[in-house]
Amino acid sequence: MEKMSRVTTALGSSAISGRTMFCHLDAPANAISVCRDATQVVVAGRNIFKIYGLEEEQFVEKLNLRVGRKPSLNFSCADVMWHQMEENLLATAATNGAVVTWNLGKPSRNKQDQLFTEHKRTVNKVCFHPTEVYMLLSGSQDGYMKCFDLRKKESVSTFSGQSESVRDVQFSMKDYFTFAASFENGNVQLWDIRRPDRYERMFTAHTGPVFCCDWHPDDRGWLATGGRDKMVKVWDMTTNRAKEIYCVQTIASVARVKWRPERKWHLATCSMMVDHNIYVWDIRRPFIPFATFEEHKDVTTGIVWRHQHDPYFLLSGSKDSTLYQHMFKDASRPVDRANPEGLCFGLFGDLAFAAKESLISGDANRKPYPGGDRRYPIFFFKKPDLTEQFAHVSSALSVFESSLESKRMDWFVKTARLYLLSGKSFAELCDHNAKVAKELNRPQVSTTWTMLRIMFSDPANLSTPGPNHIGKLGTLPLMNSFSMKEMGMGTESRLDRSKGESRQDNIHLELGNSLINNICPTAENEETEGSEGQAEYMFGDAELDDDDLYSMEHDNQAAEEQEYTLPQEAFPLRHEIMDNPLAPEHLQQDKADSPQASGNEAEVMCLTPIESFSLISISQPLFSPHLPAPFFCPVVREMLSHYAEQGDVQMAVSVLIVLGDRIRKEIDDLTQEHWYMSYIDLLQRFELWNVSNEVIKLSTCSAITCLNQTSTTLHVNCSNCKRPMSNRGWICDRCHQCASVCAVCHHVVKGLFVWCQGCSHGGHLEHVKNWLKSSSHCPAGCGHLCEYT
Amino acid sequence: MFVARSIAADHKDLIHDVSYDFHGRRMATCSSDQSVKVWDKSESGEWHCTASWKTHSGSVWRVTWAHPEFGQVLASCSFDRTAAVWEEIVGESNDKQRGQSHWIKRTTLVDSRTSVTDVKFAPKHMGLMLTTCSADGVVRVYEAPDVMNLSQWSLQHEISCKLSCSCISWNPSSSRAHPPMIAVGSDDSNVMYGGKVQIYEYNDNTRKYAKAETLMTVTDAVHDIAFSPNLGRSFHVLAIATKDVRIFKLVPLRKESSSTGPTKFEVQIVAQFDNHNSQVWRVSWNITSTLLASSGDDGCVRLWKANYMDNWKCTGILKGDGSPVNGSSGQPGAMNTMVGSAVQTSQNEALPSVGRPELATDCLTALPSLGLTDTAALTPPPPSLPGPD
Repeated sequence: MEKMSRVTTALGSSAISGRTMFCHLDAPANAISVCRDATQVVVAGRNIFKIYGLEEEQFVEKLNLRVGRKPSLNFSCADVMWHQMEENLLATAATNGAVVTWNLGKPSRNKQDQLFTEHKRTVNKVCFHPTEVYMLLSGSQDGYMKCFDLRKKESVSTFSGQSESVRDVQFSMKDYFTFAASFENGNVQLWDIRRPDRYERMFTAHTGPVFCCDWHPDDRGWLATGGRDKMVKVWDMTTNRAKEIYCVQTIASVARVKWRPERKWHLATCSMMVDHNIYVWDIRRPFIPFATFEEHKDVTTGIVWRHQHDPYFLLSGSKDSTLYQHMFKDASRPVDRANPEGLCFGLFGDLAFAAKESLISGDANRKPYPGGDRRYPIFFFKKPDLTEQFAHVSSALSVFESSLESKRMDWFVKTARLYLLSGKSFAELCDHNAKVAKELNRPQVSTTWTMLRIMFSDPANLSTPGPNHIGKLGTLPLMNSFSMKEMGMGTESRLDRSKGESRQDNIHLELGNSLINNICPTAENEETEGSEGQAEYMFGDAELDDDDLYSMEHDNQAAEEQEYTLPQEAFPLRHEIMDNPLAPEHLQQDKADSPQASGNEAEVMCLTPIESFSLISISQPLFSPHLPAPFFCPVVREMLSHYAEQGDVQMAVSVLIVLGDRIRKEIDDLTQEHWYMSYIDLLQRFELWNVSNEVIKLSTCSAITCLNQTSTTLHVNCSNCKRPMSNRGWICDRCHQCASVCAVCHHVVKGLFVWCQGCSHGGHLEHVKNWLKSSSHCPAGCGHLCEYT
Repeated sequence: MFVARSIAADHKDLIHDVSYDFHGRRMATCSSDQSVKVWDKSESGEWHCTASWKTHSGSVWRVTWAHPEFGQVLASCSFDRTAAVWEEIVGESNDKQRGQSHWIKRTTLVDSRTSVTDVKFAPKHMGLMLTTCSADGVVRVYEAPDVMNLSQWSLQHEISCKLSCSCISWNPSSSRAHPPMIAVGSDDSNVMYGGKVQIYEYNDNTRKYAKAETLMTVTDAVHDIAFSPNLGRSFHVLAIATKDVRIFKLVPLRKESSSTGPTKFEVQIVAQFDNHNSQVWRVSWNITSTLLASSGDDGCVRLWKANYMDNWKCTGILKGDGSPVNGSSGQPGAMNTMVGSAVQTSQNEALPSVGRPELATDCLTALPSLGLTDTAALTPPPPSLPGPD
């Protein structure tokens, strides 16, 4: 008996076809229902009651049931249902409390058949028995449900829910005598049609009204309910107590819920507020809608699957006065747009990565989304349809950590900590920073510091020139003019040596140094442009025209070297210079980058007039001019900008601070401020608060220094009398005691003072810390449970 | 070398976003299961979930941290058409003992009529500002006028982008020379609609955001977009996840002080990689903006790095589960495909390193940047020497 309905309405060979289409209604729809053979749909609303034919390409209005000059309120429908066995039989629930049946077989224009006016208030729902032709059930706002036998003039039984308004009534597919009713107070009741005195079972399904319920068509005793709490719940009613087996969270209150035909786990929902879309959910994956129909512009009021064995056509009516037929293949799939991966770089170079498991485990898994596995059983499937698969998925989260010894940002933290930015002489700062950089294996930076010291050191400061210094420091001498010549010499001698070695060496060096210096070439060129003779000592090889650079052949090497012997021997400091490979290397790198011959050419060019001159100037203490520091400013400015553009704002700011006034005017304030801000932000990320504060203090930009002026007001209470201290100093003007006495050792605290904000007592940080290890009470004995965070 | 540390996230559906906090010690994940989880790194480097709570009634697309100056604050956005701001509450010693923290909702932003696809806090120097973008193509900028009161947000700007938006990124530059700038990506897949990345800039005179640029060459759906950390640069670098990974450089052209229009940019495409061979979903910059990570439908994370010539190349491939990267994943053979590890570079990350020429040419289709800076132009090109072995 229970199978009867399906047998009689089986789809057979005549498959439904059509397309996504819509038609305009004259008025907002409240409910829709289809006839058994899926060829016609009835639309009912407050001001509309029409039947449309479903043609291949369009909706065609077949019949307007709303007749008469001044239609009665009986035509104002809250719900409509087309009988699934009797083609001509319709029932509507009127907003005035009437239950009306309509017989399409009537010859007159008015098809109204029977009228039951037993309910006191709006009837929310009518429902035909799935297998019994004459049995009709209604549920009303007045809290009653009534069962009608259409052969009689009045209801055969009345069921009192005794809770509140009835929102939905549905006959069970499984059990001939059972129906479910949902209520505004959140309850769902099960009734036996033969026992109007008492419900069989009641449970609270939702918080707030339960607007709808729907039995699973596959007669397995599943009941889906939807409520204002935005949830759809699926209950297993076969057990003694209704058990919630699935719960779908939607984004708006659920007005209608309809199981999808032929798909065990799918159901369609629509909302009565805010949200106009229709969602189809796979209840096993309750978080993302499987499909969405987004056509309606206003609230969707009625949804119905076109045929009870066809899962591809959905009809919907809406408050926007349209009636739609949705094709499933035209639905949008939110999951296609959902991002299956998350990726984020951490501060320390670690990388957090979350990805859909099938993406990372399955190899060559590049199927169009949704992919998913094929394990789960598919009901009624002739053949698996990829687009219909929507298996449960999950993501794997992993963090790729750069292994410990190569913590990728360590260099930054160490550099920031170790750099000295003030407190010593300029030369010492440069030396220190160069050393720091060198130890951290950043030769380019180290070299830059060395260069800076050379460029900007004030020769007046250095009374002991030359050899002593070199011997002591093992680095280049500090004096301007001297050092320049030595650099020059160093370069040349170094070049000379490397030329003596094989070419392989050059390659090796070049690769090893990986990209040493962009600065120095820059410096050189700048130098030559504006030089007035002196620079030529230092960068003897760089002053050539490009033409010359490229004109020489390798073959000349050997010849050239011989010519070199003189200056090398003449110069006693060669070896010391060699000890510091940094400066020469980068120059040599430059050489390696340009054609090999160029170096030689340079030397040839330099040697005759200039090299001799340099020798003279060294041997004679009379040499006078050193380059004024401002001469280098453009170069340094270039260099700082370069560092900044490369992302090493640390270097830019450090140099800026160390050089101070020597360079400040060269760089516009906006840029400086930008660098400072960036560097401070970076320092704060690494929680290098002390360094960051030092930078703020040392900066000369007003915008930066004022960072330290914010939130500097301190309100202090006297620890004795607990009154606010008004005047400056630490003597309370009320009790005339010193306010900053350590509560532990009773001495006046100088330096770090920590106190409890609750009782104003405190003292030396160390003392209080120790105290709190043993006790959580205030050390002053005031009984307060102090909290130091 | 990278060590993959797998974390049992225990989300019940896809994880859509993961986000580190300012200091890199906390992490937040969000998922379609409508929850957000917060992970804290212990001393030993383990990640522990310290909070997990239901945030929305739909898939949570993105989660992001505010600057810690404003407290421990998260923002999330969701399919349920809302964005929400969350704050961690200190206290509740019970929770602390269990190693759990408590987050409460400070506000819900309900202006969108469609799914809110991205949420980002503005750079700190602009104050406490939040941007959202939604599938109906509207970018909204909110501001909390009182940083101590996270429950009051006023809608400051509504920018209509016409196209369904999928991602936004703030230009992080704090320079006063750079007006506030937002890049918006669209996941509209119709290539006919033109450029899918739009750049909006704040105009001080009109007090509105105006479109400054549309990247017309990006016509496919864009799923993620990220400005690189600025760090004192005068130009901006933008990474885009579309059907491939692209890196753009935006160089502001000097503008007349009198002109009030939006800044003009010289837009250069610096690199374009289709190594993922599939949809690219995410891009993320490291803190010094020297490394770019991208992830695609191939399930791999690829790392990209530039040499001093601004030639970008792949420096590593990471497979999500640490299994070997097989050759079939669209990988040029010559690449140094170290399994589950990245090519180790010297620790001076901030500095460009010489690209080994034979690798550089093999594994990338990077276009050399057209307009090099002065300093770079002076740098001699690497010689064409034979490789080290």
